[in-house]
Amino acid sequence: MGEIIESFEFRQCVSILKSTGERAKDLRELKDLIASVSDESIFHHTYQYFLKGHILEYTNDFAQWAGESLEERELSEHLSNIDPYDFKDISDLRNEILNVIHNHLERFPEPRKAIPGDEFYFNETVTFIFPVGIRARNLAEFLTAIRHVNTGPIYYHFYEARMRLGKGIDDFSRWIEDVFEKKDLAEKIRAIDPFMHTIEGIKEHIIEAVEEEVRKDMEVIDKCLTSI
Amino acid sequence: MFNQYLGISPKSDLLLLQMLGAKLNKRSFLHINSTRAGGGVAEILQRMLPILGELGIDARWEVIEGDSRFFDITKKIHNALQGHEEKIAKDMWQYHFNINRKNAEKINLDADAVLIHDPQPAPLIEFRKTGLWIWRCHIDASNPQKNVIDHLCQYCEKYDAAIFSVAKFTRAMAVDEFIIPPSIDPISEKNRALTDEEINKTLHKFQIATDRPIILQVSRFDRFKDPIGVIKAYRIVRKYNDCVLILAGSLATDDPEGEEVLNEVREYAANDPDVYILLLPPFSDKDINALQRTATVILQKSLKEGFGLTVSEGMWKGKPVIGGAVGGIPLQIVHGVTGFLVHSVEGAAFKIRQLLNNPEMAKRMGETGKEYVRKNFLITRQIRDYLSVWYSMENKGKSVLEL
Repeated sequence: MGEIIESFEFRQCVSILKSTGERAKDLRELKDLIASVSDESIFHHTYQYFLKGHILEYTNDFAQWAGESLEERELSEHLSNIDPYDFKDISDLRNEILNVIHNHLERFPEPRKAIPGDEFYFNETVTFIFPVGIRARNLAEFLTAIRHVNTGPIYYHFYEARMRLGKGIDDFSRWIEDVFEKKDLAEKIRAIDPFMHTIEGIKEHIIEAVEEEVRKDMEVIDKCLTSI
Repeated sequence: MFNQYLGISPKSDLLLLQMLGAKLNKRSFLHINSTRAGGGVAEILQRMLPILGELGIDARWEVIEGDSRFFDITKKIHNALQGHEEKIAKDMWQYHFNINRKNAEKINLDADAVLIHDPQPAPLIEFRKTGLWIWRCHIDASNPQKNVIDHLCQYCEKYDAAIFSVAKFTRAMAVDEFIIPPSIDPISEKNRALTDEEINKTLHKFQIATDRPIILQVSRFDRFKDPIGVIKAYRIVRKYNDCVLILAGSLATDDPEGEEVLNEVREYAANDPDVYILLLPPFSDKDINALQRTATVILQKSLKEGFGLTVSEGMWKGKPVIGGAVGGIPLQIVHGVTGFLVHSVEGAAFKIRQLLNNPEMAKRMGETGKEYVRKNFLITRQIRDYLSVWYSMENKGKSVLEL
């Protein structure tokens, strides 16, 4: 009788943007507003940065604005080094960002202003989560599915999952380890740096890793030779 | 019609559209603006309504009527929102309100959701009956004249929500503000693929030779589109690069300044045989399509811009686009990747020269731009966003909604 395994149901998320009405024109205002805006806004400007097709110099909107609009390169480096997945909740992340900016302002107390029109606009999102309508029952189907889905499911299962599951674990590697006990493959996927690639890049890395595993599983020559 | 987007629009957009259509099935969605022809808003609504209908939503589009005095006043409001100084006296605001009151007596304002486009019909909120009312601003209101925006906000803050095209157009209002960029329809006459025969027909109509590169800007004749600046840039380019310039546009029924600007442009061009100034009648979509497909470089050198649909149109045709770094244009043009952003006549001229002298770069930019539009600026995404706003307003307080 066939073994029943847990299949992988692809889901995705789409976000619509909402303005908070708040904007910062220099670093002091940025710091004051980071202290007071909603958790949803902090979440959007950090965790959801990867949804945007980001410039790979930075890892969140605050770092990008500091680097591009204020030309505070050192500060942008410090801010880019903050890993939001290290924090259990938004308030800890918020405090860390405030800390970094505060330390910078202690050393450089006269922040320059952004040029008009280039202020930092604090936004938040309403996110819709829904099924893609694709299910994979084995690695070969998973490989086919990953090749064909667009970036939405990759974001949901690779990035958003880290907050749901915690400990830097994504949905893909968890399924592969739990269902197929392929720890090595799971580790390979977990080792993909989420900050250093676009979502398309993440997709390519996952395809590469899974394809290699599927190919290995299909090979019978080694086994034939050793049995002679 | 919906099926025609399969293979073009991202699957996730189509899927979410269908799911939201099911959730909002048979509900009524009323759109109101001030012109059925001319300008980007009318163009989007023409395409959007049938798609909403196919999704099972009872969509309706009404247009308010006004006289020349009304449209003079509303053009001043429009200009003032874009930062141009205008005097709008108390009696003018009263006239604006009175015309809307007359329209409210004629239009059926009953609907589950009502989307009011731009300042012209904004006072209709005072005659609201039922439903969710949303004010949709397409204008670059990043630096508005204060007394004008304050007066308009007296209406806008009575709505349940507001929608702007770009984050920097928003302001601290007492209502929910969403950011939804506009879009193009890839299967419309303006954007579908054309045969060589169709393209040649347009070129023959306007007697445009294709033996030299073509620089093209398509826009209403409006000073904020800087048509004079485009001619200046072209003249700088001509010093080393032989090419022709086409400025093509129509006159919108709600824009009383159009003819004045057209005359200014004609005078400035001074009968240069290599500068084509084409006044197109409304609904010249196929001609615009053909011109964009023939162009070597497309310009949208606006000084102020709500969104700049022509940027996405040009990118959709695989052309390199140079745009003014204003309004919604930087949303579409990632500088150096999907196009070039410029801040001056000289900047525009420089980038035109770069593209004319590097056809490989121009081709790559065009291809990247097209894919960027496909993912972000197709009409299916915009409808998805409008329905998402509606659905989220009915589930207020939730930042995550599982379907």
